[in-house]
Amino acid sequence: MPADPSLVDPERLGERVRDIIAEVLVVARDRVRPHSALIAELGAESIDFLDLIFHLEESLGKDIPPQRWYEFVRHRLPDQDPSHAITTDIVREFAEQEAARCTGPPISGASS
Amino acid sequence: MAITGVGVVTPIGTGADAFAAALKAGRSGVRHITAFDCGGFETQIAAEVDDTTFDATPHVEPPKMMKVMSRPTLFAVTAASLARQAASLTPRDVDPYRLGVSLGAGGMGPVDMDIIAGQAAAIIEAAKENGGAAEFNIPAFARIFQARTNPIAVLRGLPNLAAAHIAIQNGARGPNNTLTTACTAGTQAIGEGMRIILRGDADVVLAGGADAMINPVGILGFSMLGTLSRRNNDPPTASRPFDRGRDGFVIGEGSGVVVLEREDFAKARGAPILAEAAGYGVTCDAYRITDERPDASAAARAMLNCLRDAGADPNDVGYINAHGTGTPMNDVTETRAIKTALGSHAYGLPVSSTKSMIGHLLAAAGAVELVAALVAMRGGFVPPTLNHDTPDPECDLDYVPNDARPAHFDAALSNSFGFGGQNACLLIRRW
Repeated sequence: MPADPSLVDPERLGERVRDIIAEVLVVARDRVRPHSALIAELGAESIDFLDLIFHLEESLGKDIPPQRWYEFVRHRLPDQDPSHAITTDIVREFAEQEAARCTGPPISGASS
Repeated sequence: MAITGVGVVTPIGTGADAFAAALKAGRSGVRHITAFDCGGFETQIAAEVDDTTFDATPHVEPPKMMKVMSRPTLFAVTAASLARQAASLTPRDVDPYRLGVSLGAGGMGPVDMDIIAGQAAAIIEAAKENGGAAEFNIPAFARIFQARTNPIAVLRGLPNLAAAHIAIQNGARGPNNTLTTACTAGTQAIGEGMRIILRGDADVVLAGGADAMINPVGILGFSMLGTLSRRNNDPPTASRPFDRGRDGFVIGEGSGVVVLEREDFAKARGAPILAEAAGYGVTCDAYRITDERPDASAAARAMLNCLRDAGADPNDVGYINAHGTGTPMNDVTETRAIKTALGSHAYGLPVSSTKSMIGHLLAAAGAVELVAALVAMRGGFVPPTLNHDTPDPECDLDYVPNDARPAHFDAALSNSFGFGGQNACLLIRRW
């Protein structure tokens, strides 16, 4: 169950992803369009994706190890330039995948 | 070596002009701590940068950079931006690989409040999982801390990041050094910045210091070491360097940055030259951890090395901006060092501590204080030492008590001393 139950609705989740991207990259929300490239157009750098995943974790109420994002990008966008290929829509797809995932694996190194 | 621009963020004003006016007026920036609930703390006062007026936003591009900037970094990029503007230094004026950064920074690790709060919460929850047992449950702590803490918060605590952000904001691709030499860091960063230029590694260096330790860990740490004033009931009178009633320093926060430039480079681009960065001297007591050498010989030697580096005579010095912390020990030892270094010239020479107004800015102290000496030299006054009511027989120099004084002088020294026996001194001359 997400921290915000309404995020089971894909449309609501898509809007939340837009909010998060605007917040993390400190850009106006109307600049965050479905095909906006996060790196090339909106100025994201590596650490912004860690920030983005942290915000997704909070919204979805579950752990999302960053490795899951890196693997998602590798499989979803093989041989593509991430500067242009990682768009709002791609992040939304990842968020949907994570929202649908029942439970996350424990964070490595933790005891429980 | 020319100083072509200065920028400051201080508890009594941001920008050189506001700072100079406050120094001349003898305004105190010490107040009851507003940054956090300090109830129960032995020391409840500090010299805070006023958040109702301080705003780093105009100096940071793109805006998202702000989220990974710690408080000292926000001060540092603001001071650097103001200094560069004052120097009329644009990206066209200097090869980016010939523009360096030399910054004094706090080295006490991540003191970001988000991280402290995250650590505290994780420790408490980990202890609960342990059935309240006192033993530190590290695996549980790791899991809880990781889940609660935004990973980018870690980047705010790295000591070299303030200098890195100055580089990013100003396109400075040359040498980028961070000094974490405690209370001399700002002075040494400027001195070592001069050396970067002298050895030919840069034409221009943005040099200074930044610090912000007005948080529970910072206040507690210095308080536990017995170094802070506890004059909580009358904050503006708490910082009283060289006064017999002094009982410790007051923590301040902020940043000072100067633009150092090779003389011919500054002249060639028609830069405004504010003063000559003429000399730098540095030594270490190699004695005890916090006690200063009682004979002040190493501190005096730093001053003498600085004079020699500047090719100056003790009689050339017209003003000393003292380290003057207001701890019982520093002020006596520093007085001794000044007399050893300058001989009879020490008597009758104005020596003041601007820490009486802005508190002790720690890693930023020396940089902000050099700017204080510079604006005073250019403004024709010496800043006062506030709260100087009862003379201490062991502190028998002219400390410019309580009121600024009109004065014309052509050279000024700025002293900094630090835990670990650090001694550093800078000399500026009228251009």
